[in-house]
Amino acid sequence: MSEAASPFDELPGDLMIWVLIVSELLVFGAGLAAFLAVRLTDPVGFAEAQDHLHRTGAGINTIVLVTSGWLAALGAQATETGRIGRARACLAAAAALGLVFLAVKWVEYVDKAAQGIGVETHPFFTFYYLITGFHAAHVAAGVIVLALVAARAHPREVEAGAAFWHMVDLVWILVFPVIYLLR
Amino acid sequence: MSLNTVTRAWALLLALSAASTGLAVAVTGGHITGAALSATGVAILILAWAKARLILNAYLRLTEAPAFRRGFGLTLALYAALLLALYLAA
Repeated sequence: MSEAASPFDELPGDLMIWVLIVSELLVFGAGLAAFLAVRLTDPVGFAEAQDHLHRTGAGINTIVLVTSGWLAALGAQATETGRIGRARACLAAAAALGLVFLAVKWVEYVDKAAQGIGVETHPFFTFYYLITGFHAAHVAAGVIVLALVAARAHPREVEAGAAFWHMVDLVWILVFPVIYLLR
Repeated sequence: MSLNTVTRAWALLLALSAASTGLAVAVTGGHITGAALSATGVAILILAWAKARLILNAYLRLTEAPAFRRGFGLTLALYAALLLALYLAA
């Protein structure tokens, strides 16, 4: 007897990776909404604090992460069609760009520290460190996941690893304008 | 998902990211204020919403699951509207 079709069968990839994606989006989504809600109490202070951030650097990091996501998607496609060498190269390049993202983020944090800016300097920076730091931790985890799935090059695992990486990409696409750009 | 789909999405994501960064850099320095500044913020949030949809549909392949694409699309639109309301209320 065949199993009844589930509506979740339509989803690309494992259901559990989608549960993880939705959970992470809810956490970051709540953080960003809270950031904008607290901003209502001191819009001028938030704008002044934001001037200490490097928008162009964050814009470059956006290009880095979006390109990394593209390479991860290409790697997943290559794995599905059995082109293992190409898949590994794409996934390794995606992971390397993840490291570039972390290096730029490190420079950004060092620059803030040199200016004497910390978590308690202003509520803006409390959210800034909390949200971007939590995201950076996900980038670091994603780099490890990409390296692991590249080594094994199993289609189902690569698809799950790439989906995690796209979630990290998606979160940054929302973090970038809210924290760095909105005046 | 064809190769062209993800590559087209990537090119579009780069263009939209450059546009939002350009808008933000243009208003830095306090030369633009009031309604024009708010309009820039609205444009930046709309660009972010468009980019998020692209990642969901092309990178995460929700185009292959129309019902889930609609559900995620609606939720994302409502969330973007919440962010927009909080931004404009300041």
